[in-house]
This record gives sequence, structure tokens and C-alpha cells, in this order.
Amino acid sequence: MATPAQLGLQNATSPIMEELIAFHDHALMIIFLVSSLVLYTISLMLTTKLTHTSTMNAQEIETIWTILPALILITIALPSLRILYMTDEFNKPYLTLKAIGHQWYWSYEYSDYEDLYFDSYIMPTYFLEPGEFRLLEVDNRTTLPMEADIRMLITSQDVLHSWAVPSLGVKTDAIPGRLNQAMLASMRPGLFYGQCSEICGSNHSFMPIVLEFIYFQDFEVWAS
Amino acid sequence: MDCPTYRTVTTMASEVLAKPQMRGLLARRLRIHMVGAFLVSLGVAALYKFAVAEPRKKAYADFYKNYSPEKDFEEMKKAGIFRSIK
Repeated sequence: MATPAQLGLQNATSPIMEELIAFHDHALMIIFLVSSLVLYTISLMLTTKLTHTSTMNAQEIETIWTILPALILITIALPSLRILYMTDEFNKPYLTLKAIGHQWYWSYEYSDYEDLYFDSYIMPTYFLEPGEFRLLEVDNRTTLPMEADIRMLITSQDVLHSWAVPSLGVKTDAIPGRLNQAMLASMRPGLFYGQCSEICGSNHSFMPIVLEFIYFQDFEVWAS
Repeated sequence: MDCPTYRTVTTMASEVLAKPQMRGLLARRLRIHMVGAFLVSLGVAALYKFAVAEPRKKAYADFYKNYSPEKDFEEMKKAGIFRSIK
């Protein structure tokens, strides 16, 4: 989960999120490069009285400042597309989990197991135990096996929602009448928090997601 | 009546002052600073890459080099954070 005054991305728990963090660093490096160039140019223009009022054309610089931005964009696009196709890779999943968005809670269905489905409502603040996080805890956590590929099928029962867990690099829209697929994989055990990421009414900010990743043997015991 | 005329005579020294640069001042400034601007922006990018991006990649690699998910899991289980395992 995010800590107070956090500016950067949360620590990665899945391989995809590690790739996304590296890509974010790459894109931000290019942003700083272009911004510093523009800032330098602006300060240059503001600190001189020299003028040149008879410029007619400047073919050489026009060519440079067309080709250079195109090259910069290609430098950004290539790793971006690589990660995009990586997120669509389908590795035989260990488990399929359905997440259904409602106003204003999530429900989960483990169709691979018999009779395993539950609703997940936000834990009201007055029910929190010491050490628990306000507006992030839920009554029934989504338990999943770690180090396993999990297929998420995300949909909604009413309006648009979005199932997002930043640490895993997942954000998938929950659209009524549509099933969106996402792949999850956690490299570590623990608790990972997320929140609804598509405006869905008055309690949009109060339908969090909590994933509890445990060993698959313990998961099998829990699921049965 | 003839009025006396006064004029100031400047005696020229033997060396001649060099003619100052009159044209192309802006072009010269732009030429110098274009190189400077690219160097500064590439420097900023290199600074970000080697001060932030590469250390972050190394931090992830170092974390996972000796990471034991079993040990982490047992510690979390002992701390009682999991609700699905009693």
C-alpha cells in the first residue's frame, strides 16, 4: 500500500510491475531530458537583447527538430509495446478468479472450487483493529496462492468499476456485460491493497481490494 | 567678422583598435548555447539514469538474490497478519 506523502510507484510484487517501473524510469528520464532542454532554451531567450528579425527559413534546424522527436518517440514506443504484449501473454493459469464489481463492494467467485464465493465490503473505521489501515481493509480478503499464475475475469453487475492493485501492476475495467481478463502473479507472500479505479457513485472511494497471498498448500487447505 | 572656430583634435595612437564584431552575434550565441543545451539535457538524463534508475534495478536484483519466500511467509504467519491461516 502507499505510505503518506509517497510520490513514486509502490514496490513491485509481480514481474510485470517490475518491468513497468523500469519503463516508468525510462520515460521519466526522457521527460527530464526534453524539459531541461526546453527550460534552457526559454532562459536563453529571456536573457538576451540580441534579435534577428529577418529570418526567412531554417531548413537544417527544421529537419533536426522533426527527426529528433520522432526518434525519441520510437525510443519510448519500443519498450512500451514490449510490455504491452508481455501483459497479454497467457501462461497456463493455476487458478481462475472472477471479480465482480457492485455498488459498492466487490464479490469474488472461485469457480475452480465448489461453493467458494463471497462479498468483500470495506471494513468500517470503527471496526478496525490496531495496525489496520483506514479505508483500505475489507471484511473478507481475497486469498490467493503466491508464485502461481492466476487468471482474473473482471466484470460488473451494475456500473463501471475498475479492479486495481498497484503493487501487482493490475488495473482492469469492470464493465457490465463484458468479461475482461487479466493475469496475476505474486513473487512474494503478504497483503496487497488496491482500490476501485473507475468512478461509480457516492461510495466509489470506499470499495477497496485486499489480496492475501499465501503458500499454495495453505491456499488449498483454505479453499477446501 | 570671423568667429574663431574651435575643434577638438584627437591624436591617433600608432595601433588601430580592432573593429568589434558587428554581425552574427545572435547566431554565435545560439551556436554555443545549442551545444550547451544538448549537453545539459543529456547530463540531466544521465544523472537520472545513473542516480535513480540503475540503483533501483540493482536494489530489486539484490533483494531477490537472497530472498526466501518461505522465510518471509513464516515470519508473516507468526506475526498473525494472515486471516486465512490460523
